Amino acid sequence: MSALHFFKPDLLWLLPLALLPLVSYGVKQFNFPGLEDWPKDFISDSLKWGVRALAVLALTALIVASAAPFTEGGTVTRVGDGAEIVIVLDRSGSMSEPLQNYDQSVDAKPMSKIEASRKVLLKFMEQRPADTFGVVAFNAAPVSVAPLSSDREIAKAAMLSAEANSSGFTALNRALAMGLDYFQNRPFTASRLILLVSDGDAVIEKEDREILKKSFKQTRAKLIWVYVHAGAEKNILSSVIAGDNEYITGAELQQIEMNQNVAMNKLFEELEIPYQAFEVNSEQGLQRAVTEIAQMTNKPTRYEYRLPRQDYAVYLYLLAMFLLGALFWLKQIEIKSWKA
Amino acid sequence: MAQQPLIHYHVRWRPSGHQPGASQGLVAGTGDQLRSVVPLRDNPDPRRLDLRASSRDPYENIWVRDFNLNSALKVIVLVDTSASMGYIGKVNRLHVAQQVASQLALSAYRSGDAFGLYAAGETINKECMLPPKANRGAWLWVNHHFPKIQPHGNSMDGLFDTVSYLPQKRCLVFLISDFRWPDGKLKSLLKKLNHHDVIPVMLQDPAEIDEQPQRGIAMLRDTETGNQKFVWMRPALQIQMAEMRAQHIKTVETASRLYGNKPFVVRGAFSSALLTEYFMRRSA
Repeated sequence: MSALHFFKPDLLWLLPLALLPLVSYGVKQFNFPGLEDWPKDFISDSLKWGVRALAVLALTALIVASAAPFTEGGTVTRVGDGAEIVIVLDRSGSMSEPLQNYDQSVDAKPMSKIEASRKVLLKFMEQRPADTFGVVAFNAAPVSVAPLSSDREIAKAAMLSAEANSSGFTALNRALAMGLDYFQNRPFTASRLILLVSDGDAVIEKEDREILKKSFKQTRAKLIWVYVHAGAEKNILSSVIAGDNEYITGAELQQIEMNQNVAMNKLFEELEIPYQAFEVNSEQGLQRAVTEIAQMTNKPTRYEYRLPRQDYAVYLYLLAMFLLGALFWLKQIEIKSWKA
Repeated sequence: MAQQPLIHYHVRWRPSGHQPGASQGLVAGTGDQLRSVVPLRDNPDPRRLDLRASSRDPYENIWVRDFNLNSALKVIVLVDTSASMGYIGKVNRLHVAQQVASQLALSAYRSGDAFGLYAAGETINKECMLPPKANRGAWLWVNHHFPKIQPHGNSMDGLFDTVSYLPQKRCLVFLISDFRWPDGKLKSLLKKLNHHDVIPVMLQDPAEIDEQPQRGIAMLRDTETGNQKFVWMRPALQIQMAEMRAQHIKTVETASRLYGNKPFVVRGAFSSALLTEYFMRRSA
């Protein structure tokens, strides 16, 4: 148990006021011709002091409560098998394009890429209860939407609020830098992951590459690219995962896009950082990603959990209320005039 | 004041004064009780000629009847003015004492008796002192002087000093007090007054006896000692209190019976008819 602190210790100077009830009884007084033959009554005699004690206690409780006493909650070290994951979510214009739909039925609504990735990420978060999540969204500039914390609700709300918005330029490098910033000044207690959710429509300058490479090394973070692709695009994994989804060459434009995405994939590989890419546009893809990440993050997370400070004012106010209630009741049964 | 009927007190002893009054006295004079038959020479009043006795006398002396004088009493009122007498409950206690005293003064004058009054608290109150005289305006004097009395002091020791101011011959003494006295004080005062006919008039207030609040809390301050007491009135306490009050009256009764009389208890307001009734019971 840590020491007791006061939020407003100055108010404790009012404590001598609590002795005020000792000056008077606060009960109506009547003259009586002779008390020498008044029957001995233990209850009355003890009430004489009891009433004043009640009043003193009530005042003390009120004053101490208003000084807001609390104890620091302290921190506990918790061990989880999760990882620290920063989701870097692309919300550039291209993410609002409809996803290639595996469901070929007529009434299936087309789903935008960002919507799909959001859905997938939420599912992912649900399946990883021990992980710590932070969210960075970016298009032309990265926005730190949710800090890296074990509070799920913030991350979830951040995810849900992310909407695709075209702004002509995708600041991938800065977003990654911001995501890496999250890991700065934190003890390395868990596996660190940057989960880039993007359709890959971005380039990284040569100088930036060097900086990123350095930061990745410094923070010892791994990069996972969750690739969201529309049907028309080239599966970037064709170069990573052999065989299963060979792309058949189409239009010239698609070739360029393919080149770009494949280039991005290559680029990440060139960063000389632990890197993996997943194509996530189906349930199976998600499952695979989850198991892969689980394998990557088998290092147990030891994290400091800061307990909220314990506030005692509430109990004191409750006590004061109770005591004041008792005093009020005593005042109610006070004899107003000495007659039957 | 004169609205109440007069108090017809009656004593069972014979006052010895020469002042004509309403009680059968000890000395010879005009009265209604035959004392003796004496020669005319001894009581030269031919109106009281006893024809039968004179005609029966062979020596032919003339005899006259001699009567006991109907003499006046001396009515003395002793008032306790200690602090507890200033209690104002349902009635003003000192005001009740004033009513008793002034009604007695009026009644005493009407029956030709002398009336005197002494008040004492811790010490004797010399401002409020009336020597026993047949005094027509005594009741007005009482009404004039009583409101000036400030009840104070927490003992009644001054009453012992009043005894020496009282006439040496037997008087009818009314001792007006609430008798909230320490044990034995009443007995020793009555002992000092025991050649007088002392009637303790005990003043009580319903607010201190049976008309107390049923329940609730309050602070009580003793008017004499100034002690404060926190009380929580409740039925259980009321029963105890009723016993205590009965005990108090019993104590006063025991002490005064030892010296001849029952106390006359005034509960709340004073009624002179009740005091007359008290005397009627006493004579019966």
